[in-house]
Amino acid sequence: MAKPKIATDWMGDCAGCHMSLLDMDERLLTVLGKVELTSSPITDLKHPPEEGVAVGVLSGSINNTSNVYVARMMRKRSGCLIAMGDCAVLGGVLSMRNAFDIKEGLRRAYIDTESTVDGFIPQSDELAKPIRNRPLDQVVKVDYHLPGCPPSADAIFHVLNELAEGREPVVEGEALKYD
Amino acid sequence: MTVLNVTINGKTMEVAEGTTILQAANAAGIEIPTLCHHPALKDIGACRMCLVQIENMAALQPACSYPVIDGIKVETHTPRTLEMRKFVLEMLFSERNHYCMFCEMSGDCELQKQAYAHGLAHWTYPTPNPKLQVDASRTYFIMDHNRCILCRRCIRACGDVVGNHTLGMMSRGAKTMVTADMDEPFGDSTCVSCGTCLQVCPTGALVDRRSAYGGRNKDVDTVNSACTFCSIGCRVNVITRNGRPLRVEGDWDGHNQGVLCLAGRFQPLETGRRRVTTPMVKRDGALEPATWDEALAAVAKGVQAAVPGKIHAWVTAATLDQPMDAVVETFRGKFGGDVKTLEAAPPPGETPNGGAMKDIDTADLVLVVDADPLTEHRVLGYRIKRAADNGARILVCADGDNSMADFAHEAFPLSKLDWALASVTTAERPVVVYRAAMDPRLRAKLAVIKAVCIPLHAAANAARAISLGLNNEADGDAEALYILLEEQALTPEQREQAHKAPFVVMHACYVDDVDGLADVVLPAPLWYEREGTFHNIEGKSERVRPAAPPPEDIWSETSVLQQLSLRV
Ligand code: SF4
Ligand code: SF4
Ligand code: SF4
Ligand code: SF4
Ligand code: FES
Repeated sequence: MAKPKIATDWMGDCAGCHMSLLDMDERLLTVLGKVELTSSPITDLKHPPEEGVAVGVLSGSINNTSNVYVARMMRKRSGCLIAMGDCAVLGGVLSMRNAFDIKEGLRRAYIDTESTVDGFIPQSDELAKPIRNRPLDQVVKVDYHLPGCPPSADAIFHVLNELAEGREPVVEGEALKYD
Repeated sequence: MTVLNVTINGKTMEVAEGTTILQAANAAGIEIPTLCHHPALKDIGACRMCLVQIENMAALQPACSYPVIDGIKVETHTPRTLEMRKFVLEMLFSERNHYCMFCEMSGDCELQKQAYAHGLAHWTYPTPNPKLQVDASRTYFIMDHNRCILCRRCIRACGDVVGNHTLGMMSRGAKTMVTADMDEPFGDSTCVSCGTCLQVCPTGALVDRRSAYGGRNKDVDTVNSACTFCSIGCRVNVITRNGRPLRVEGDWDGHNQGVLCLAGRFQPLETGRRRVTTPMVKRDGALEPATWDEALAAVAKGVQAAVPGKIHAWVTAATLDQPMDAVVETFRGKFGGDVKTLEAAPPPGETPNGGAMKDIDTADLVLVVDADPLTEHRVLGYRIKRAADNGARILVCADGDNSMADFAHEAFPLSKLDWALASVTTAERPVVVYRAAMDPRLRAKLAVIKAVCIPLHAAANAARAISLGLNNEADGDAEALYILLEEQALTPEQREQAHKAPFVVMHACYVDDVDGLADVVLPAPLWYEREGTFHNIEGKSERVRPAAPPPEDIWSETSVLQQLSLRV
């Protein structure tokens, strides 16, 4: 029997969740012995295959139109979808931005920053448009939530291993952390 | 005492009337989750975390504020109670900003702990996240309304425990806010910065500026000790990390009942002053670092050059028993010199005493004579205000401005003490709080009335100084003067007098206190590095424990005095 397929991707985040995933160290081999990793931001292939995967993992929050696109594509192509990390589960650090107007934020980042000279706000039709920050489950249906900033390698291993073994992953005890 | 039967989770027990379901459950080792409950505060059932199922009752009831009724049958952990608690948590998380990843309290927060215990892997309800104010107008701690769960522990602490009534609630529903006075910034309000609200807050809403991000409970050490910054001697817990003090908390089991004042909780950690870290000896008119050997030799030489009658020692009455005894043994016993205290000592005569802090709680009248407890013995002042809330009459008999006078039912000048005492005789359980060093003729009047008396001393360990026969009639004819100053300060007059002595040794903590005055400086350990005993306001011997070791080159005061004694 072919191994179940798994794909990961990231949206608005710091890449810490994927670092934590790599922190599984030799247990990566255990997981890769049980599943096939088709694509991820840290492999050559970036996008989940059209024919779909059993498990999709998304880190990061929804912050712009590109994130919405990534989220919808992953949802469409995954049997079950995991929100990995506080950004995907709760909105994360980027949600602090919601306390301000988006225009105000862009100005601060591209023009008012102390080190910026002759700043301007990049504008192009090819660029994603910033939108209000929100967690993944406000855009697509999420099957399992794995909070943590980032979730520990132990917690990520637990969830992936449970799914690979065909069990429901329950995040509790030491694996459940919001920071 | 009426005994009631209660069955919790099938376990039947007997409890006294008035016991709440929560108390009964805790006594039986059954844990019910709580948030707004705090053992030192009155329960009000604000958060609904503790909901339990009572047989034959449709609605769930809060265990913390539901008194046991005879024969009552309670279930604490049913699918329904668990679901309700989860719902309560979901609501709390959706109400304000609880993104723990950037919260100071994360790891020690009671709300977070409950969310973990109830397996909240995400929040079901949207988080509208109103952008609320962060009020940083107070010097020592910050209120972040975004983390507040409106449990009202702070309000109850401020009102019921401290008797200060600064805090209250404003508006309703999702708009409810904790406010100070009539919605003033906290820093401009009637808040006295006692920090009791900070100590009871279960979340990251109240944040200590100094200890913020300094370490979680699992990373820190806690040492039970006592505050020696006034003669009340409040019991404290000193929290340190790697030998660095982070904060001071009130000990709920002390006579201060967990309450401290800003002089005990915050100020001692915020001095920003340069510390004396090595012995110093004056060479060519300037103080220079020296070894202990050189410094002690210089002190011995200076002392030996003086006529014994002109060897004087001034000691702060805030010091512990052991150093105070050692100064007296060395300077009076061995050198034949004269020892005085830096702070005002009571004149000879009877100093009526014996009162305890808890006597104030049951008093029907409290008379304050020639003292200003809200300024100088604050925790006692708060206790008196609390007594007033509970119906006690407060009389103040003092001259000049007195911060207690605003809260008194009647105020008299000191010349009208007889009038005030006339009211005392009509009371059933009167307590008289007075300045120990007051005019002995007036003090004698207190000795003959029927009342519990609490003398207030000018320094923490004045009682020891009195028993050693020390007074503070310091004079200026010393040829060699030793001053045990620690972190206290000389008055301008004392400084001037000290200047007249040709040879001055200062045993002190801070450089700016000794500069320009001392010929030899001996470094003293700071308050949280000292070990010993003293007597608190109730006359009880209290232990002071070191929360951190002193820096390498700072010896205990008693061993310095011993060494000195051996050299002369
Ligand atoms: S107050 Fe508690 S629950 Fe809220 S963000 Fe801080 S740690 Fe998390
Ligand atoms: S500030 Fe803290 S103690 Fe006060 S109501 Fe809010 S959460 Fe409760
Ligand atoms: S610091 Fe003390 S006086 Fe101020 S609000 Fe808190 S409890 Fe009340
Ligand atoms: S009242 Fe006195 S002993 Fe208590 S904390 Fe304040 S200074 Fe320290
Ligand atoms: S702990 Fe009982 S209602 Fe809050």
